[in-house]
Amino acid sequence: MENKRLPVATSLLLSALSVAAALGLWQFLATSGTVAPELLASPAQVLNALEEILRDGYRGTTLTHNAAVTLGRCLLGFGLAVVAGIPLGLLMGLQPRAGAALGDIVQFLRPLPPLSYMILLILWFGTGDGSKVALLFLTALPIIASAAMAGVRLVPRARILVARSLGASAPQVVLHVVLPSALPSIFTGLRIALAAAFSTVVAAELLAATDGLGWMVLSASRFLRSDVILLGILILGLSGMALSWALLLAERRLVHWHGRG
Amino acid sequence: MDAAEPARLWRWRAGSVAVLAAAWVGATASGLVPSVFLPSPGDLWDAAADMVTEGYKDRPLLDHIGLSLLRVFTGFGAGALLGTALGLLMGWRGWIDALFAPFIEFLRPLPQLAYLLLLIIWLGIGEAPKIVLLFLAALPVAAVAARDGVRRTSLARLAAARTLGASEWQLFRHVVLPSALPDILIGARLALGIVYGTLIAAEIIAGSTGLGWMIVDAGRYLRSDQVFVGVLIIGLMGVALDRLLVLAERRIVHWAGR
Repeated sequence: MENKRLPVATSLLLSALSVAAALGLWQFLATSGTVAPELLASPAQVLNALEEILRDGYRGTTLTHNAAVTLGRCLLGFGLAVVAGIPLGLLMGLQPRAGAALGDIVQFLRPLPPLSYMILLILWFGTGDGSKVALLFLTALPIIASAAMAGVRLVPRARILVARSLGASAPQVVLHVVLPSALPSIFTGLRIALAAAFSTVVAAELLAATDGLGWMVLSASRFLRSDVILLGILILGLSGMALSWALLLAERRLVHWHGRG
Repeated sequence: MDAAEPARLWRWRAGSVAVLAAAWVGATASGLVPSVFLPSPGDLWDAAADMVTEGYKDRPLLDHIGLSLLRVFTGFGAGALLGTALGLLMGWRGWIDALFAPFIEFLRPLPQLAYLLLLIIWLGIGEAPKIVLLFLAALPVAAVAARDGVRRTSLARLAAARTLGASEWQLFRHVVLPSALPDILIGARLALGIVYGTLIAAEIIAGSTGLGWMIVDAGRYLRSDQVFVGVLIIGLMGVALDRLLVLAERRIVHWAGR
């Protein structure tokens, strides 16, 4: 639809106008008395809440602490899943026997809504950080492993044979031929897995936590503090966007050749 | 890279399942793992039989399944339809994209459960907040898929149809829509998975009926046998929902991938 593409400046201007209009509507709804103030805080009140929480914290916890705790849990569970999932998926792709032995387990775990087994993890590990990290690990692992396995299937067989005949050892073939060829597919999996882990960590914090951004939103909803809830939603949305951009940047650096000739 | 014959691979498949089953029986029968943590196969069977015949907490099991499914289909249906329509427009006209993209891009990576509480405050604790939650979960996923699908329409095909005198509507109906359909259905599949996971999470956090509520309630009474049965049902339903969309995909875009 090239003929319908707008110039970047026009497009940005329209986006800015649209966001400004939405903010205006929000401010109007919140302050005109159409909606009760405890149901919908105005943008100005949300800013005040941000200032207040940055200064005094929220119910004994600081905002940076809650944000760091949520991101920390998410990245720890996701990181462990990356470390375990990529080799696992490569192994499953390279060794048909390993694929046959582990495939069913991975394929059973993948479509299972993570919060459903959170109940079991809480029974097993208690409500502390252990059960949350295990939950996020199990959320991300099957997605990453499946993506790595699918990536191996895309490696041109000729390339492996060429490397072999040039005398590359098995580890060298995996490291220098298979992994780079599978990387675009692995990154697709990483993006999906990180988004899933981020959604899941917030859900887990709503279910059982004493800190974190999810807990902050839950606690605020009990006290009908819609300003704090909206602030939490804004921070979570921006963090989610930042996480996905960070991964996209990493992908562009690491797989800079993808999509070229 | 050793090319084991596919016929022999089933042994590895069956072997791994057998090892898991043996470990399960061994751990529970020996008393190594208390049944509160891991019910034995017998316990699981009894709990499943009991839940099928007696239902769970005054409600037949099928009611819980039906309620969860109804929520999924209503929320997903509304979100996917509107999201697809919006995405098609966003792909077709740049200015529509510019107007809606900021909200879609914000909503898409936002953890769905974050706004559940706000919806509960606004709409009460009935069905409405759950349906709206699922609607909002499906909308951005469907919209982005449809938009990208439209953008992938081959320019040569568009030019050819234009040269042959097709009107804007005909171009949209006969060139753009069929090209975007495979992407739309991939988006629908992704959205359905997200909607299902979100619903189970919502029922766990703030439900009084449905499959998610069932397992969280059983967990409160440390009935891990019932939790296990519930998790199995949730898993199987998830797979069934996904299969359903794959079947639809094969029928609707039978030409894709050829």
